[in-house]
Amino acid sequence: MDFYLGLIQIIGVHTLLGLSAYCVLLTGQVSLAQAGFFAIGAYVAGMLTVLAQWPLIPALAVSAVVAGAVACAVGFPALRVKGLMLVVATVAFGEAVRLFFFNFTYQIQAGTLHLGPHGAEGFRQIRYFPEHGWSTLDVVLFIWIVVALVMAGLWWLDHSRVGAVLRAVGEDELAAQSVGINITAVKVSAMTVGGFIAGIGGGIFAHYTTHIEHAQFGVVLATFAIAYPILGGLSNVFGTLLAAVFIQGFLIEGLRFMGDWRNLLFGGLIVLAMNVRPRGLLDAGTTRALKRLFAAGKERSGA
Amino acid sequence: MRRLHAALAVLLAGSMLSLPGSALAQERTVKITGFGAKSGVVRVFGINSEAALKAAAEEINSKGGVTLGDGSKAKFTVDFLDDRCNAEEGISVMRRIASTDAFVAVGPTCSNVAESLFGILQKKVGDASDSGLQFPIIADVAAKGGLAKISEWAFRNVPSEFEMYKSLIAWIRKEHPSLKTMYGGVEKDFAHSNATYGVMKSQAEGSGLQVLGTSEWLLNDTTFSTQVRDMKRANADIVAISAHPFTTCGVLKEMARQGVKPKLLIGLTSSSSIETLQGCAKQAEGIIIPTSFAPVTPEAKLAADQVAKFGGSADLHSAAAYEIMFILKDVIESQKIMAKPDTVQADRNKMRAGLAALKETKGLLGKVGRTADREAIKPYLYVHAKDGSWQVLHKPTL
Repeated sequence: MDFYLGLIQIIGVHTLLGLSAYCVLLTGQVSLAQAGFFAIGAYVAGMLTVLAQWPLIPALAVSAVVAGAVACAVGFPALRVKGLMLVVATVAFGEAVRLFFFNFTYQIQAGTLHLGPHGAEGFRQIRYFPEHGWSTLDVVLFIWIVVALVMAGLWWLDHSRVGAVLRAVGEDELAAQSVGINITAVKVSAMTVGGFIAGIGGGIFAHYTTHIEHAQFGVVLATFAIAYPILGGLSNVFGTLLAAVFIQGFLIEGLRFMGDWRNLLFGGLIVLAMNVRPRGLLDAGTTRALKRLFAAGKERSGA
Repeated sequence: MRRLHAALAVLLAGSMLSLPGSALAQERTVKITGFGAKSGVVRVFGINSEAALKAAAEEINSKGGVTLGDGSKAKFTVDFLDDRCNAEEGISVMRRIASTDAFVAVGPTCSNVAESLFGILQKKVGDASDSGLQFPIIADVAAKGGLAKISEWAFRNVPSEFEMYKSLIAWIRKEHPSLKTMYGGVEKDFAHSNATYGVMKSQAEGSGLQVLGTSEWLLNDTTFSTQVRDMKRANADIVAISAHPFTTCGVLKEMARQGVKPKLLIGLTSSSSIETLQGCAKQAEGIIIPTSFAPVTPEAKLAADQVAKFGGSADLHSAAAYEIMFILKDVIESQKIMAKPDTVQADRNKMRAGLAALKETKGLLGKVGRTADREAIKPYLYVHAKDGSWQVLHKPTL
């Protein structure tokens, strides 16, 4: 049971990472900076709970605000470019963040231990959950409450005028600009919200892995971040969740028994999924079909 | 319908007939699960560990197996899971193993995975306020210093690199008093290499060697011209390379290309392996490495042959995995572990207590001491690459 609960934790945190990229993708931008924001969230939250002995929730709030602020600051210059140039710019940012933590050392003495980030050797003893008696189930519930809140927030955003504006910019920037939408403000806002969500995800990640280091926040993680919403589909937030379940639950954990073949199948199945479902696992058509199905089911039960 | 009934009857009869046979043939087994990197740049370590665990299991089984707490005999079986040297996957693998009847796990390969894994374990045994996992792990490869301190459920059978390099540097100072300067090279993004370089450098400085500088590179780097140019400019007597075989070979080849010929070369423990010789035997000629394994005793020779049979290579890491199987056998027998589904947590507690109580274990090179913080004090020797093989250069008196 503990194994499945642990897996549900991982899926929850990766869903947050995917949702952070989802916000940016709605505006038609491909950002590989999410791993950088995730790293900022992880280090800030870890330092606050370990070094400053803060409770977890305020630490996560601060990590989200810091990551969001950095995303906002990065958004202005980075979003002046688009397409492949934006990909290059955001990869460069992500690598800059990773290298910052690669060289970042700030330790304090606590008894016989040195606590805090220690450059390339990472940051250990982020043991808030076990030290405060949180069971695996408690951690799962906490993570999924956060995921549910973020998904609800994004769902509401998606169905509000703001969501329509984000999608309008994503569909056709020129048309959106011609009706008076401030493109820069929209893109930077999306980037900021994405950074905020990545900051929360990173903060939780640091606490359930108990040790973080620069290498965890490289290009591979950034690729995973955009793979979730792209593979899941951008029609709504549930696509990202479905993709996180598919990748983490099925491709990584479900196929572990296949040993060396797992890595080969991993890439092959993603390519297959993208070919079979080019607009994502949960595209607009599937969403409509599911809605019809639910509506029909309700009518039947009502009759 | 009649045909379906007939088929079912045949199947049922077949299964009934096979039942007594299988029950007779069934013997008790104890599954030991290992885990580590079987993918990526360091996959060879996982492959070697798996081979060593299986080789040791076969050796034990051929001599009758292990005696369980109820007096019955059991055979070891070995399963090995890939964590891809990734902390998140390592935790998941650990939880997967802990959700079975297993009472101990062997691994991981990478120190960064061990850091996370040991972190999710209960820190102090019996601390009710700590909800960490109560499951004993014994590491065979993860070599970064001081990792077992993280949890009282964490154990290691890896050598103390601090002691090894302290001894090696002192020996070099005694044997080669004319060597005055050292230049370092480090695979900066790999926890083990980075931590060990810290040991090499501090020991060198402490012994009076002048450290002229350090070149840094990454585990996945393939070009080293800039780093070696700096090394050449420093023109030090000794070059110490703290890196795994892949980049060690890259650097050594670049050193040969640029004509960098120090009077003495020192390498990282993990590079005293067959991979270095396969990758760059010519360029590695003369490199000195302290190691806790070489086929210099009858037991070590046997282990090397057995590991090779299972498709692996015996080196200091896989030899540790081989030794661990014998340690586990001894603890199972001394603690009277039952290995039954209804005694899982009791067996885990006994295994932890048994491992913690060990003061000494049998190693392939001799007796291995155990420290209070659950680390090993392993015998070691210095090997050097000579004519395409690792040969013993010196065996320090411990």
